[in-house]
Formats: sequence, structure tokens, C-alpha cells
Amino acid sequence: MNSVKTRLSGLDFQQLVVYIGFLAIFLFFALTLQDDGFLTQRNLTNIILQTAPATIMAIGLVFALSAGEIDLSFGSIVAVSALSAAVVMQEHSMAFGIFAGLGAGVMIGAFNGLLVAYFKLPSFLVTLATMGLFAGIARSMTNLRSIPVLNETFTGIFGSGKLFSVPSLVIWTIIGVAIGHLVYRHTKFGAHVLATGDNPRAAQVSGIKVPRIRFYVLTICGACAGLAGLLYAGRLQAARYTLGESDLMTVIAAVIVGGTALKGGKGSVFGALIGSLMMGMLNNGLILMNLRVSDQMIVRGLIILLAVAVSLRDKNR
Amino acid sequence: MKQLIRHILSGAALALATLPVSAQTVGPQGETATLSSAIVVADENIEAVRAGGHTAALLWHDQSDFVNAVTAGATDEFTRFGIEVVATTSAGFDAAKQRSDIETALVKKPSIILSLPLDPVTSAAAFEEAKAEGVKLVFLSNLPSGYKHPDDYAAIVTDDLFQMGKQAADALAAAMGGKGTVGWVFHDAAYYVTNQRDNAFKTTIENDYPDISIVAEQGISDPARAEDIANAMLLRNPDLGGIYVTWAGPAEGVLAALRANGNKTTKIVTLDLSEPIALDMVRGGNVAAIVADEAYELGRAMAAAAILDLLDQDVPPFVVAPAVTVTADNVAEGWMQSLHIEAPKSLSAQ
Repeated sequence: MNSVKTRLSGLDFQQLVVYIGFLAIFLFFALTLQDDGFLTQRNLTNIILQTAPATIMAIGLVFALSAGEIDLSFGSIVAVSALSAAVVMQEHSMAFGIFAGLGAGVMIGAFNGLLVAYFKLPSFLVTLATMGLFAGIARSMTNLRSIPVLNETFTGIFGSGKLFSVPSLVIWTIIGVAIGHLVYRHTKFGAHVLATGDNPRAAQVSGIKVPRIRFYVLTICGACAGLAGLLYAGRLQAARYTLGESDLMTVIAAVIVGGTALKGGKGSVFGALIGSLMMGMLNNGLILMNLRVSDQMIVRGLIILLAVAVSLRDKNR
Repeated sequence: MKQLIRHILSGAALALATLPVSAQTVGPQGETATLSSAIVVADENIEAVRAGGHTAALLWHDQSDFVNAVTAGATDEFTRFGIEVVATTSAGFDAAKQRSDIETALVKKPSIILSLPLDPVTSAAAFEEAKAEGVKLVFLSNLPSGYKHPDDYAAIVTDDLFQMGKQAADALAAAMGGKGTVGWVFHDAAYYVTNQRDNAFKTTIENDYPDISIVAEQGISDPARAEDIANAMLLRNPDLGGIYVTWAGPAEGVLAALRANGNKTTKIVTLDLSEPIALDMVRGGNVAAIVADEAYELGRAMAAAAILDLLDQDVPPFVVAPAVTVTADNVAEGWMQSLHIEAPKSLSAQ
């Protein structure tokens, strides 16, 4: 009993907010929308499928924020990656397409990381600039045309397929969260990321190669955005320059609500997953409530504001 | 592009002198157009439709005056037949969100979905589930790739695009006294809606107005560059009598260029309602006319087409709603005819 008490008292309220919020919203929708199909397996599966790309992006952002950096460009990376994969697969095999999509994400992430880590530029400004740069490149890549993805193996693996009756997007979510959590919590690299975000000078003094950590976290962010681009391309069976464009605020909100500190040094991959699911559940439930579109936006905004305010307020005590 | 489509679709401009439409607009697959006035569900079907307990979902691409007017037209028609609207969404021009919106709305098992597919390619997979479940689909303006009428969808409803371009040409010619030189600012992208309207303008000027010549042609894809493009066009052609601009967003940039040059004589005609453009028009500035669609009628026709399909009656594949030309003399009436809302106060105060 004492050990339970000790463990509970050690829990950070900021990191609990997302679970409490998730449960509260789930119960509210479950009660008010019980006749509207909210609790059906189909609808609950929809929520996971719809949030899979955002969850993968959120995992990358947890690493960046935890190291005291931020990536605003991941939405643009999603579009470039999805288009790269789709364009390459028009002429070449699926493997080349995946390589192109993921490769584009990794390279753009590394580009951001290079400028931040070795040219000592602030990540906020670097990624603000590259967000515009790569949004423009996404538009010019295909002259604003959408590119169909006709490779059924690809769309099965990254979109509509199933393995032992489990949708592939659910599998990607599980794999992403598992790897992310493992690296973040149980490796030396994860500890270095947190140390860098908590106090870069102290980290440097203790022998951590801080620039290298910064380079890696932004590269990871790019890689996750690249994978999210592949998931979008698989799910929509097409790539379009607008993919990922509207995910920036949703993903940042999911990560912050999920217990990751904006200024670094603290975070949670599992919390980001719950935060992402919470955002998806909000979208889903508010539509099923048949609210007007503007009312959906207002309610969603207020709930996110409340969740973020509660978690950040506690941190500042 | 996002802003472009928003302006095109949220547009409206009118021709109060709604012409007896001889629609020359053809559908995305070359379909012959049917006027929206022909899409009517007879009152005698009301009880039969009500008895079916049908529901509808309105899954739009964005939010705007235009979408509000389409929604109002559709909702009023559905209400007449006892059809409840169970979900309304806006994808914010995000293809992934549109896909999610469709999946979410399907949980409520709607009988009908009215939607503007964001683009033919990404929408093809998005609507597949709805199609497979036998939901009656009526599309606004775009058609998902590979979809066949009548098995996959009930109808596409859109503006009479050719008529919009033609009425713009007629209005500009009238403002120029039937002679002079014209600059043609067209949308430089493969986009069905704008391409049809732009080409209709050009064709009409070339065929119907022998004393007017198009001396400058300039494509535009980014509305933010409109002012630069207009400046370059005016530098090379200082005596332009008129400029056609593909939609209201870039027209605001062209107007800014004319003002900066102190040019009070070159007339502008554009498409889709915009308050700043209309304000210049009612103040006697460069803008001669705006041509807009009848958004409320588009919504009504979409709902009617879906109901006819529910009743297993034949629905034509491609339906167009008329265009209206708005001038300084009919701004209030035109705004109402297009959007079913009062014109902004700034316009009536002039």
C-alpha cells in the first residue's frame, strides 16, 4: 500500500492530465452518443485509423521537444515524402517508393538538424523557414497535381490492409509507439535527449554531445514525418501537396497535452499517443453530435485550451 | 491553390439579368449539361420520401458564404421531404480530413451524402466505402476518378461555367462600348472549373466582339502575384480598355495595381462575389461587373437530385445552376440571388 502511495505521489500531474481528459471525453461521448454509434467497433477503429499519421508525427515531436527543440516543418515534410513515394512508384517498384518517401523525410530532418546543431540557429526559426520552403517544393514537385498510388501492396501495407484482422495503420501505430517508448525511456540516447532538454550546459559538461543530440532529434522528427507521409499516401491511395498541412497544431497540442514539456527535459511517447487519440476522438464525437462546423471548431478549441492550460499550469507551480 | 479554390467555390457573382441559359458547359467526362431548374421533385412524392425515414450528411471541403448558401439550399429541400441532416463537416481543404469525415459520417448511416470531392484523385478512395454501402452520392463540381453514372453516383451539380465566362465577356464588352483592347488573366493550372470559365470568356470575345482584341495574356497560379502581373501587363499595354481576371482574389491585386498607377479608365470584370471588388464597383471605380453563381440553387438541386435517386427516378449525370451578372445597379438583389444573404452594409451605404 505504501509503495502504491509512494508511486502515486511521484506521478507528475501534468502527465496524468491526458489520461484523465481522455477518459472524461470518452465517457461524455459514450453517454451522449450511445444511440449514434460512437461506441461501435467500427467507430472506435476509425478513430485509431484516422489518428495514425498524427500519432507517428507526435512521436517524432516528443523527441524534438524533449531535447529543447521544436520542428514546425513536419507538415511540409509529410507532403514531400508522400509525393516523393507516389511519383517514384509511378515508374519504379514499391521498395524504391518507400525509400524515396522515407529518405526525403530523413534528409529534410537532417537538413534541419544540421542548421540547428552545427550552425547554431534556433530550431523555431529554421523549421519555420523550411516549413515554407518545403511546402513550396511540394507544390512545385507535381505542379499542384495529385498523384494516384496504384500499387496495391503499398496501399495494403501503409493504408487499408490488415494482418490477422488487425488494420495495418493500427499495427504501425503500435510499432511506432513501442519503438519510440523503448528508445525514449530505456536507452542511453533517450536519457541524453532528456538531459539536453533539461539543461544543455550541464549535459555538455557531463560529456553528452549536445549538438549531435539536436541533430538526431530533428532527423528523427523528419523520419517520423516521412513515415506519416507514407501512411497518408497508403490510406488515400494518392498523394497531394496539402497532406500534413493542417496537422501542425493538432500534433503540437497532442504532444503538449500528452505531458511533454515545451521547454524540454520531460515528455512521454505514450502520453503523445493518448493525446493524439484524444484529438481524433474530439473530431469524431463532435461530428457525431451533429454540431455546426463552426461550433465544432469552437468546442474543440476550448477543450484543447483547457487541457493545455491545466497541464502547463501545474508545471509552473 | 487552397485560396484559389476557396475563392472560386465560395464565390458567387451574379448576373441579375439571368439569361435564359443555353448551357454549353460540359461535365468532367464530357457530359451534356442539364439546367438545375429541370431537377425538381414533385410534391406528390413527399409522403413516400418521408415514410422512408431518410437522413443526409453534408461533407464539405471548407467553410464560406458559398458553402453556407449551398447548405441552406440543400437543407431547405431536405426539410420539405422530411429528411434529417445528421452530420455536417468541413475538411478545410485537407484530403485526409475529408476521408476521415466520410468515415465518421458513415457511422450514422446516412441515406444521402452531398459533398465536394477535394480533387478527383484523392477522393476516389475516400468515397469508396460510402459507394459500397449504397449511399446516394451527389457531388459538387468535382468527380472522383473512375466513378461511373448512375451506378456510382447520382449526379454532379456545378455552376454553368461556360455561361459565367460568357457573361463576363458580355459585361466587359458593354463597359468598353464594344471596342478596344483587353488583357486576359487566366488561371494557369489544370483545374476544371477555372479552365472552363476562362476559356469561355476568351472564346466569346473572339467570336462575338470583332472590335475587341485580346492583346495580353497572362497566367496566374498565386493570387499574391496578381499585382505584379497587372503592373507588367499595364507597362507593356498602357491603353488597355479592360482586364478579365479569373476570380476575385487576384482581381483585388489587379485593382490595387490600377489604383497605384492612377488608372481610372481600364475596366475589370471578374468572377465570384467579393466585398472589396463590389465596393469599387458601386463607387464607380474600375470594376464594371462581377459574375457569380447561384449557390443556394446549387444546394437545392443537389438535394433534389439525391431525392430523385432515392425514388429510383432517372437523374441526369451533370446539372448546372445559372450564373448572374452583378453590376452597381443590382448589388443587393444579386447578392441575395447568389448567396441568399443580404449584401454587406458597406455596399448598400454607397
